[in-house]
Amino acid sequence: MKTRYYIGGVIIVVFLGILFYNFTKTNIEYEYDFQKVMTNGKVCKASGVWVKEKSFIEDIQNRKFIFYIRDANKNEMKVVYHGIKPNNFEIATNVVVTGKYENGYFNATDVLTKCPSKYEGQTTQKTDS
Amino acid sequence: MLGNIFITIAFASALFASIMYFLNYKGNEGLLKYARMSYHLMITATILASVTLLYLILNHNFQYKYVYSYSDKNLPIGLLISTFYAGQEGSFLFWALCMAILGIFLHSYTSTRGDLEPRVLAVYSLVQSFLLLMITPALKNPFALIYSEPFMAPATTIASQYFNLPFMANYIFSDPATNQLFVKIDKTLVAQLTSAGIGLNEFIINGKGLNPLLHNFWMQIHPPVLFVGFASMSIPFSFAFSALIKNDYREWIKQSLPWTLFGAMVLGLGIMLGGYWAYGVLGWGGYWAWDPVENSSLIPWIVSVAAFHTMLVQKRTANENSIGAFARTNLVLIILSFILVLYSTFLTRSGILGDASVHSFVDPGYLAYLLLIIFMATFIILGGGLIIYRWKYLKKVSPINQNFLSREVALFTGSSTLGAVALVTFLGTSAPILGKSVQIEFYNQMNLPLAIIIGLVNGLSLLLKWKESGLDELLKKVKFSLAASVVSTVILSFFGIKEISMILFTFSSIFALFVNAEIMLKIIKSNFEKIGAYVAHVGLAILFLGVIASSKYDKTQDVNLYKDEPSEVLGYKMTFTGYQPTPDGKYEFEVQIEKDGKKWKALPVMYYSDYNQGIMRNPDIIPFLTKDVYITPVSYDEGVHQHGQTVQIKKGDMTEYENYEVKFVDFDFSEESMKNMMSGLGFSMGAILEVKDKNLNKIYKISPKFEIKDGIRTDKPEKIEELGLTVSLSDLQADNQTVIVKLIHEDENSLTDVNKEFISISASIKPFVGLVWLGTIIIVVGFFISMVRRLKESRS
Repeated sequence: MKTRYYIGGVIIVVFLGILFYNFTKTNIEYEYDFQKVMTNGKVCKASGVWVKEKSFIEDIQNRKFIFYIRDANKNEMKVVYHGIKPNNFEIATNVVVTGKYENGYFNATDVLTKCPSKYEGQTTQKTDS
Repeated sequence: MLGNIFITIAFASALFASIMYFLNYKGNEGLLKYARMSYHLMITATILASVTLLYLILNHNFQYKYVYSYSDKNLPIGLLISTFYAGQEGSFLFWALCMAILGIFLHSYTSTRGDLEPRVLAVYSLVQSFLLLMITPALKNPFALIYSEPFMAPATTIASQYFNLPFMANYIFSDPATNQLFVKIDKTLVAQLTSAGIGLNEFIINGKGLNPLLHNFWMQIHPPVLFVGFASMSIPFSFAFSALIKNDYREWIKQSLPWTLFGAMVLGLGIMLGGYWAYGVLGWGGYWAWDPVENSSLIPWIVSVAAFHTMLVQKRTANENSIGAFARTNLVLIILSFILVLYSTFLTRSGILGDASVHSFVDPGYLAYLLLIIFMATFIILGGGLIIYRWKYLKKVSPINQNFLSREVALFTGSSTLGAVALVTFLGTSAPILGKSVQIEFYNQMNLPLAIIIGLVNGLSLLLKWKESGLDELLKKVKFSLAASVVSTVILSFFGIKEISMILFTFSSIFALFVNAEIMLKIIKSNFEKIGAYVAHVGLAILFLGVIASSKYDKTQDVNLYKDEPSEVLGYKMTFTGYQPTPDGKYEFEVQIEKDGKKWKALPVMYYSDYNQGIMRNPDIIPFLTKDVYITPVSYDEGVHQHGQTVQIKKGDMTEYENYEVKFVDFDFSEESMKNMMSGLGFSMGAILEVKDKNLNKIYKISPKFEIKDGIRTDKPEKIEELGLTVSLSDLQADNQTVIVKLIHEDENSLTDVNKEFISISASIKPFVGLVWLGTIIIVVGFFISMVRRLKESRS
C-alpha cells in the first residue's frame, strides 16, 4: 500500500518539476518599457502604440512590415515584422509585438492589435507570421 | 422596461426557489409547493425576458443600447437573431435561458427520483440566481437604454435631417484621428428631442451592426452550443453538491452520469465547432491555436471527461461496505469542472486577459468583474468547504485497494493524465494574469507525452477486467491490436513519420483505435447499447491521428500569383485569373488549381470593412479525401507599381530602407500648378526628396510627381540612373504633412513583366485534416450512445 503512494508521489513531483521548468523556459513576459526591451535582448511581448507620424514600410514582395511603436515614456522602437500588415492596424489603440530586439530593431514574429473601446465587445485581430 | 421586470422577477424567484427547496429538504414539507411555484416562475420569467430581448432586436429598437451596439437593419434574419448573444449582456441572458430550458427537464428528472428534487434544485436555482444577478439593471443589463449613460453614436446611424436643429450643435463631435462624426446621446438630448416632438427611434435610424468577423453561419451555431454546454455543467455540480448536503454518495453517481455525459458531449461539440470556424472562415490556418479563450472552455471539458471515468469506477466498486472507490476524486472533479466554467467566463469576460487573447471582450465593467469573482469564490468555498467537512467520513467509506492490473487503476491513470493536461493548459492560460505569457511550444511539449499516455491507456484499460486481470490474459487479448499497430506504425514511418515522439504518438493512437474497434465490432450486434465508450474512443484515436498528420506534416508556401501566369506551388499549378465582387460587397479572388489534368477553383475573399476599418481576409479550402488545400489571401496589387517598397515619410523626416536613406524635404507645388488646380485644369503634385546611398555616401536630389488631367492620373516617377533606382510618388497628404513613395530597383523591374496585377497568397497543404472533424463527430455519437445507456440505468 505504502509503495503505491511513493510511486504516485514521485510521478507527481517529476511531472510538476518538468511543468514548471517548461513554464519558465517558454515564458514570455509582457514589457511596457522599451528601454528594457532594447537593452536586455530577451524575447518578450512589447506593448505600445503605433507612431503614426513616423514612416512605415510595407514590403509585400518580401512579406515585411516595418513600423515604429512608442511606450508610455515616449521611448520609440523600430519594429520589423515578417508578415503582412494586420487587419485593424490603422485604428488600433494598442499594438503588442512578440519577438526580440536585435541589430537595432525589434524582430517581431507576431503582431496583435487591440481596438478602441468604441467597438465595445468587438474582437481583436490576430496575425501569425 | 418589461425586460427588466422579467429579469428582476426571474432573479427573485430563483433565489426564493433555492431557499424554499432547501428548507423543504430540511423537513418543512409544506414549502415544496412554494418552491415549485417559484422555480417555474423563474423559468417562465427567464424565457419571457429572452423573448423580450429577441422582440426588441427583431423590431430594431435602437433606443436600447444592446440592440444598437450589436445589430443593424441590414442583417439577414439568422444573423439578426444571433446578435442576441453577440455581446456580454445578451450572452449572460442566453446562458440563463439555457439554464431555464434545461431546468424544465431537470425538474421532471429529479421529481421522479426519490428526494432528489429539493436538494438538487436548491443548488441549481442558486446557480441560476447568480447568473440572473449579473444581468439585473444594476449590472450588465441587456435592457439598458442608450442614453442611460452619455453615449457616442457614429453620425451615420443618426437621421441626418435633425442635424440642423438648433440644439444639435452641442451634441455633435468629431474624432480628429479618423474624421468621423459622433452624436452624443444623453438624457438632456433625449429631453430636448422629446420636447421637439421627435421620438428616439426616429432619431436613431440604424444600429452599429455586428462585427463582420461574426457574419457567417458558424456564429449562429457555435456560441449557442457552447452555452448549452456551459449551462449543463452546472447540473452534475448540483448533484454532487446535493450529495454532500445529504452526506449520501451512493446514488448521485448513477443519477448524474447521463447529465455529465450530456454536458461533455455538448461542450465538446461547441469547442470543435469553434475550431472549425477558426479554420474554415477566420483563416487562422488551423483549428486550434491554444488561444486563451479556446483553452478556457477546453479545461472544464477535460476535467468533466476525467470525472466520468472515475465515476464509473465508483459506480462499479460500490458494495454494502463501501460507497465505491474515488468518491472524493469524483466530488472534487465535478465541482471543479463547474468552477472552471465560471473561471473561463471570468477570463474571457473580465478583460483580464487584456493583450493576450484574440477574442476577449474589451469593456468589462468593474462591478460585473467583481461579481464574477464573488460567484466563483462562493462556489469554491461552499464546495471545497463541504468536501473538507465530509473528508474523514468519505475516506472511511471509500477505501482504495485496487490491483495494479485492473480496469479501476487504468481508468484512474487515464483520469490523472487528463487532469495533468488540464493543469498544463490551466497554467498556460492563466499566465497573463501574472503578466506573463507562454509560447505555443509550452502546450505542445507538455501535452504530447500526456497524449501518448492517453492513447495507450485508452486501449489498455478496455482490455483489463474490473477488479483483477492476469498478465497472461492481457497479453493474449492485446496480441492482435499490438501487432497490427506495430505494423501500421512501421508503414507510416516509411511515409515520413520520423521523429521518435511522433512515432510513439502515432503508435499509441493506432493502438487505441485497433483495441476499441475490435471490441466494438464484437459487441455491436449483441450489445449495442454498450458500445458508446468504444465508439467515443475510436473517435478520439482518429482525432489524434488527424492532429498528428495535419499539424506536424503540413506544408506552407507564400507566393505571389501574377494574373494568368501559372506558378508551381506545392506540386500544384496555380493561376490567378481575376476577381469579382460579391453581392455583399466583398471580393472573390479566383485561383485556378491544376494537377494531373484535373482542375479546381479556389475563391478566397478579401474586403474592406468599415466596422473594423481594415482589410478582412477569408481563406478558401479545396477538400480532398486525404488533405485540404488551404488558400489564404494576403493582398492584391493592381500591378501599377508591383515592385519595391512603400514608404511613408513625414516632412523633414528621414527613413531608412536597405542601403538608402530617404529624406522628404518639401512638397513640390508650382504656382502655376496651384493656379491650374483652382481653375479646374490639369495639375501636378510632387515631393522633393533626398536619397542617400550609404555605400557610396552620395546624395541624390529628386522630385517625383504625378499629374492629374481630366480626372486621369499619370505618374511621373524619377529615376536615379546611377543606382538603378526608380522613385515614384503614390500619395501625398497635405494635412498631416506626409508623402507615400515607392522605391523600385531596376533589377527587380527586369525580373518580371511590368504592369501585371497579382495576388499574394499563403498556400498550405494540410494532410488528413478531415480526420479531426470525423473524429469529433464519432466522439459525439459515442457520447450520445453512452448517455442513453446511463439514462436507462439511472431509473433502476
